[in-house]
Amino acid sequence: MSLVPGLGIAKGMALTLKKFFEPKATIKYPEVRLDVPPKFRGRLQLLYDEYGTLKCETCFQCAQACPIECIDMGGVDTKGRYHIHWGAPETYGERRDESALRRSGRPVPNQAYEHFDPIHPDALMAILERFDFDPKNMLHILESTQAEYGHLPVAALKLISQKTGAWYAMIYGAASYYRHLRLEPPSAEPLAAATADARAGRETTFLASFDAALFGGTAPGASHGTAIAGAESPGTAPGAGPARA
Amino acid sequence: MTAAPPHDHLHREVPSDDPRVQLDEAAGTFEPVPPYPPRTEREAEFYTLGDGEMFINMGPQHPSTHGVLRVVLKLDGENVVDLDPVLGYLHRGVEKLCENADYHHTIAYLDPLEYISSLFCEWPGVLAFEKLLDVEVPRRAEYIRVLATELNRILSHSLFMGWMALDLGGLTPILWSFIERDEIAEMLASLTGQRLLFNYLRIGGVNGDLNHDFMSRLGDWMTRATTQIDNNLGLLNQNEIFVRRMRGLGTMDKETAFRMAMTGPNLRASGVPLDFRRAHPYSVFPELEFDIPTRDEGDCLARYLVRIDEIKQSLRIIDQCLHNMPDGPIMAKLPRLLRPRPGRAYAAVEGPRGQYAAYVISDGTDQPFRMRIHDPSFVHLQAVGTLMPGHLIADAMAVMASLDPIMGGVDK
Amino acid sequence: MTAMARSFSRLTLGGKILFTLGPILFLLTIGLVLLIAIAGKPIVDFLATNIWLVRFVVAATAVLLMSVPTAFLIIYMEMKIIALMNLRIGPDRVGPFGSLMSVIHGLKVLAKEDFSPTGADRLVFTLAPVAVFMSTIMALLVLPFAPGLFGADMNIGLLYLFAVSGLSVVGLLMAGWSSFNKYSLLGGLRSAAQVISYEIPLILSVVGLLLLAGTMSLNQIVVKQGGWFWNWYVFQQPLGALIFFIAATAEANRTPFDLTEADSEIVAGFATEYSGMRFGFFFFAEYVNVFVVSGLIVTLFFGGWNAPFPWPWPITLNIDPGSLGLGLLFAILIVPPLLILALAAPFYLGRSSMPWWQALIIGFVLFNLLVIVAITGWAFVSWNWVAGLMVFLGKSYLFVFTFVWMRGTLPRVRIDQLMGFAWKWLLPASLLNLFVTALALVVVNK
Repeated sequence: MSLVPGLGIAKGMALTLKKFFEPKATIKYPEVRLDVPPKFRGRLQLLYDEYGTLKCETCFQCAQACPIECIDMGGVDTKGRYHIHWGAPETYGERRDESALRRSGRPVPNQAYEHFDPIHPDALMAILERFDFDPKNMLHILESTQAEYGHLPVAALKLISQKTGAWYAMIYGAASYYRHLRLEPPSAEPLAAATADARAGRETTFLASFDAALFGGTAPGASHGTAIAGAESPGTAPGAGPARA
Repeated sequence: MTAAPPHDHLHREVPSDDPRVQLDEAAGTFEPVPPYPPRTEREAEFYTLGDGEMFINMGPQHPSTHGVLRVVLKLDGENVVDLDPVLGYLHRGVEKLCENADYHHTIAYLDPLEYISSLFCEWPGVLAFEKLLDVEVPRRAEYIRVLATELNRILSHSLFMGWMALDLGGLTPILWSFIERDEIAEMLASLTGQRLLFNYLRIGGVNGDLNHDFMSRLGDWMTRATTQIDNNLGLLNQNEIFVRRMRGLGTMDKETAFRMAMTGPNLRASGVPLDFRRAHPYSVFPELEFDIPTRDEGDCLARYLVRIDEIKQSLRIIDQCLHNMPDGPIMAKLPRLLRPRPGRAYAAVEGPRGQYAAYVISDGTDQPFRMRIHDPSFVHLQAVGTLMPGHLIADAMAVMASLDPIMGGVDK
Repeated sequence: MTAMARSFSRLTLGGKILFTLGPILFLLTIGLVLLIAIAGKPIVDFLATNIWLVRFVVAATAVLLMSVPTAFLIIYMEMKIIALMNLRIGPDRVGPFGSLMSVIHGLKVLAKEDFSPTGADRLVFTLAPVAVFMSTIMALLVLPFAPGLFGADMNIGLLYLFAVSGLSVVGLLMAGWSSFNKYSLLGGLRSAAQVISYEIPLILSVVGLLLLAGTMSLNQIVVKQGGWFWNWYVFQQPLGALIFFIAATAEANRTPFDLTEADSEIVAGFATEYSGMRFGFFFFAEYVNVFVVSGLIVTLFFGGWNAPFPWPWPITLNIDPGSLGLGLLFAILIVPPLLILALAAPFYLGRSSMPWWQALIIGFVLFNLLVIVAITGWAFVSWNWVAGLMVFLGKSYLFVFTFVWMRGTLPRVRIDQLMGFAWKWLLPASLLNLFVTALALVVVNK
């Protein structure tokens, strides 16, 4: 409190008058929306793709990441089964591997808890330099990394995550989603090709039955089948990309 | 009343012939008297009106009771003669919920205890579990914990400044401090993923490393935090009306404060330099340099100023954390399912309101056998019984605001 | 009948209003014409002989009518200014810059349930807002807005004003007592204690000014402050002005003395149990009261409708449109379209994306604004009372802004501090002011 009575009040009044002219902090909500933080753990939502099927692949990565195991799977899985409820939480790790195998057609190592080999980072750093450390170019980064190392080593993925700021889970998800990206050295190629073949066949039948359910059996469902079969023929070059990417 | 059977007080039906609960429209005698005979001597004494006294029912929906606290005030004119706080309007049974969840789930239940300082509610629980499991937390995780919690402390204190002013009738400071709070909340949201209930600490570490978004926000804020906070405080700290109302109000001496088991800024405002970060060091606080601000007056102004000083100390700690932050893992290696050996553990941390503590008993299963949570708001709220009587209503509200209770923590 | 009801229900809101009001207005007009035709002469004669009656009716109507937009404007100012000081934006959805927000508030209050609590004294409960509103409106009657523009020029105008504004405490006390709520009771009693305490320094601080002015008529007080701004009484009575300002703040129940409706202590004070338009009357009365108090401060200490320097009122502009002859007709026909085109051209040429009709609309709007500004400016310089009214309103709203500004800044004082301040500081200071003024007058006049 100052010696002159009323000086503190006068100072406060001057401060409010100054703030009167300052830029405002309000965000006009419906017009301007705040960006959700990348780690946002808000509402869970199942999305549908343009064919009306669930985008969720029941890969259980979300269920694994959930700290209090509040996520469980339900709905339709890739085999067309409805309302699946999976067993005890202790078996999540095994189911994740199984599901990843079904999804990507190859065994996926559980890197989170296993030892991984180091890589020489210079080449990767050069690639990252070239793509400006921008997570938006993630697919290009991953493709270049695979071209450089032959496959995507865990150490490389970790380094990419560290340098670009994208999470490891997202990168891992992208790498395991695209079929031309390999998480294993190419020696495992024949096995992967075989499973990919089997998977393509399975998917064609699934889509045909789906179309039959939708259009009553007389529908132009063949176009899907051919498109996917064409894109997934074993001889396709790694850079060609899947039809539904 | 003498021959009342046990548990008779649980019988909540209003007896139709009880004259005290009759609403007499002509005479207008409707008092907040409980609809059962007095259970204790204290209750009988309180609910007997003296000459010229009246009851007034403040809360649970009063603008300045900081949540759903209900206080039955016995007034003589505007002077508070006596009061009877009624708790439990926000009781959720958190302790019992924790006993029915496994150790990882528990953190999410601890979170919403105090919705202003969630990280401090998680921390003692996590610390106690770590003691049970005998886990060593990586140093980087410890530093990140300290960094995040000190930010949370500033968030809580800056909201307190606004509330204090709002209870004294100032409209503006609450909104300025909400701007301050919002910046920190956004920052913590980019670190933890949520704005209010962070759910960030994990048994053996934290959920997620520092990221670019968080660091850039933090750096941006740190450059102007001191001036911004000082600037906002300039509205009140020299204001004659504010200082005259706060000085000498609700004075609590050292002994009383200690006897009431008060902790945190409320105790330090009475001149006791007790800080659990120094007294029972945990985490990496032994390595950090900071002062423990104390004041000797013990009045509302001292409680207010101590919190301002604590904000500055928190900024110091954050600065050191950023400088000393080591590299390394952020999680200890732990199995997915935790089954600690049978035993008991206790952990306490120094929060923005005082001592937050948790006491856990494990029986060897994957769920805590007993979980006891200690919340400072509850302890501090008992001081209103000695501080409020003898003051005017307006001062009674100011006293309660200066103790800074959060009803979520009181009712658990 | 049903067909009519159906087509009526199909109309839009505006259509419904027109459809209802149109016939009523039509009938009223016919009735009025008939009335004037039959009994016009005696009525006009009666009014001519009793001109005070006309003046009274007109003044009362005008004051009642102006109180509503004044309250709306001050409510909007309060919302917007405090918001801007809080670093918020405030109302911005209804009308330009949210300026119609307070009107919407008024409509909302009208549409709410008219509730009175069980156990309330219905009659007193209903009359309390009326009493408060009436006292405020009656105070507006004697304020001199401009030369020749006031409700009544009483020779005891100031005394009347204090007496009438003191009546509002009765209304507040009635509200507090009849609500059957202890918060209301506390609020009512607080307001009684506060207003009675602050009436004394309020009136005593003006006594020195009255000694200087030698009259109690507000109009005369303003006339005596004419000329340069150092003739204003604030420079001869600075202490009196300060005391008056503080006491008037308390009188109008404004922050930091808004103890009667201290929301953090006694919920909403006397208005706790009020809702709907009864609450609306309190609300209106409070904000009109702010205007009255500001106007009073301006009238007494800041020269009223006098500009800060001797303004050469009125200026007669020697424009004789008749001298143009036939040219006047051409000017009226040709100048507006040309001006519209000239104002629209920069928008059309400057922005290639703008269609011609949009540019024309903009030009038309600008032209209208130009005309309005020109007419206002012409009225300002050539009519005494227009300029006086503008100066008075400008000064008054400056004080309204100050009251709002104080509300955005200051916390509330405690009730015993409030009373102590009135009795221990303001009362002796106002007595000192009176003593010094009287002494100075004796010395100067000798």
